[in-house]
Amino acid sequence: MKKRTLATAMTGIIAAFAMAINVGAAAAPGEAAGFTEYPIFEDQEVGFINLSAVYFQPVPMSNGNESIEGFDIHLEADISALENDLGYGVGDWVPYLTVDYKVVGSNGETAAEGTFMPMSASDGPHYGANIALPEADTYNVTFTIHSPEEMGYLVHTDAETGPGGTFDTAFADGNLEYTFEGWDYTPQEW
Amino acid sequence: MLKYLISSVEQLLALMIMTGLLSAYLEHAFGPKGKLGTRTGICAGLIAGFVMGYFKNYTNRIDTGRWNLRNFSVMLAAFLVFLVMTALAKKVKWAGTAAVAAGAVMIALLFLYYLPDFLSYPHIVLQTEKTVFSTAFLYRMIGAVLGLVLCIVAGVSVFQGALRLSLSVSFLLAVLALAVNEVKEITSSFSIMLAKRLIPSNHTLFVIAKHASNYSQWFIFLTIAVGAVVPVILWVRSFHVNEPYRNSAERRKIIAKWRSARRWSTSCLICGVLSVLMLTSVKAYANREVELSPIEDAPVKDGAVYVSFDQVSDGHLHRFGYTTEDGVTIRFIVIQKPNSSAYGVGLDACDICGETGYYEKGGQVVCNLCDVVMNINTIGFKGGCNPKVIDYEIHDGNIIVPVDGLMEYESDFK
Repeated sequence: MKKRTLATAMTGIIAAFAMAINVGAAAAPGEAAGFTEYPIFEDQEVGFINLSAVYFQPVPMSNGNESIEGFDIHLEADISALENDLGYGVGDWVPYLTVDYKVVGSNGETAAEGTFMPMSASDGPHYGANIALPEADTYNVTFTIHSPEEMGYLVHTDAETGPGGTFDTAFADGNLEYTFEGWDYTPQEW
Repeated sequence: MLKYLISSVEQLLALMIMTGLLSAYLEHAFGPKGKLGTRTGICAGLIAGFVMGYFKNYTNRIDTGRWNLRNFSVMLAAFLVFLVMTALAKKVKWAGTAAVAAGAVMIALLFLYYLPDFLSYPHIVLQTEKTVFSTAFLYRMIGAVLGLVLCIVAGVSVFQGALRLSLSVSFLLAVLALAVNEVKEITSSFSIMLAKRLIPSNHTLFVIAKHASNYSQWFIFLTIAVGAVVPVILWVRSFHVNEPYRNSAERRKIIAKWRSARRWSTSCLICGVLSVLMLTSVKAYANREVELSPIEDAPVKDGAVYVSFDQVSDGHLHRFGYTTEDGVTIRFIVIQKPNSSAYGVGLDACDICGETGYYEKGGQVVCNLCDVVMNINTIGFKGGCNPKVIDYEIHDGNIIVPVDGLMEYESDFK
């Protein structure tokens, strides 16, 4: 009798454990549960650009950027075009940008800064970088977007083939800049 | 090697101490039933940990945050069931079996939570090393295995020591260690739910999660402290043995029993001291800031910095600089490429890590911030953690770097 009780209990343990595993594995077909973006802010209009920022696990990248050791997150700026006269389709990713990022902690000190690299993930192209951000804090994040002309990207200026606008106009006040204040961040386990 | 040794201890020590304490109590309190429960829990946890490790590293099906939430929820329920059933064990017939079952579930869940990240170390190293037949891979894995061995010895010592304690003390220590773990898991749950926006933004919960995250090492130290109570009690008791014996054989048996207890206590204490050293002094040493080699002299004339081939043709990394009127020193590096007469020239800063600089270690150029080993042949090319590209020209045995070009990067070094 005792043995039967014990066997039943053990079976129960294994069944409960297996159930926990199954619940976790219940991703829909084709769903990439391992690629879950954590939002910072969404859909801010900065000039002709729609800007969102997310982060997720540090990722290996090509061209000598395979190491993820020492990094805490992959910070990403999703940049798409709004209605514009520069020839970009609305909602399209805007290439040839130089995007600087700066993460400032609640003590006013810069925790991370640099320039994003353009890259492609399974959800399309974006600007991003692996960064070290080990401290939990409330941060301010600033993105500075330079004119594509700095990267040698041009726009037709003639009446026949040009889209009507120029980067000089779009960036008349200098670089586009957006600061999100109050990003409550805690390091995650990936 | 040291970094992986420390990471292993950080990752596995609490697991081993908790498993040791809980297993000792279950076996002590419930005999063969408890032994079967702990063995089942460990086996199930090992299998689940390996499966999870595989899925995390080789598929994109695992959302670790959600998995941890599930794990923490079941763990909390099992912990509460364990407490209630242990209290009822003397009054209700089946309560003991339920307590063992809850204990087994907790052990399995602990392995499922802690083990996969340790198992992912080879995968992470191989993303840069590409082959297991490299010195860097070997050293890092030696570090990880040494950490694993230290944690296993610590766990077994705690287990053996706790088996020799009274039932009430053994129970108290197991519950204390698990309670520390519960606080860690509950605060981690806040962090996950807030980051994933599963719950509305809440300042109080964020502050709790923030402090728990920034002081996460203290959870390990608290667990070590609970585990350290085992050898302390045993040591004290071993010097005040007052057990009756009828003959010299029984006396020898008692002496042998307490000698064994002292040995396990010593083992516990050694592991505890080593672990604390790993997590404090050794960690500080491993993460110490590398001092960059000094800036070498190079004449500035006609608006350019002149670096002669003679200075840099030894295949080692050389650092030069130009100090602006504002007192900002703009650094750049030069290294002769392997088996080539070409030179890699770039700013002593990159797009990702800023002006942190590069240093030479074992014939390799390493980023001072992220420890990425650079491919020397690609220094001078744009991208990633490569040094920022600067203008220069080669003329008459000199590398000539125009000051105007360097001035563009003045803000990088402020």
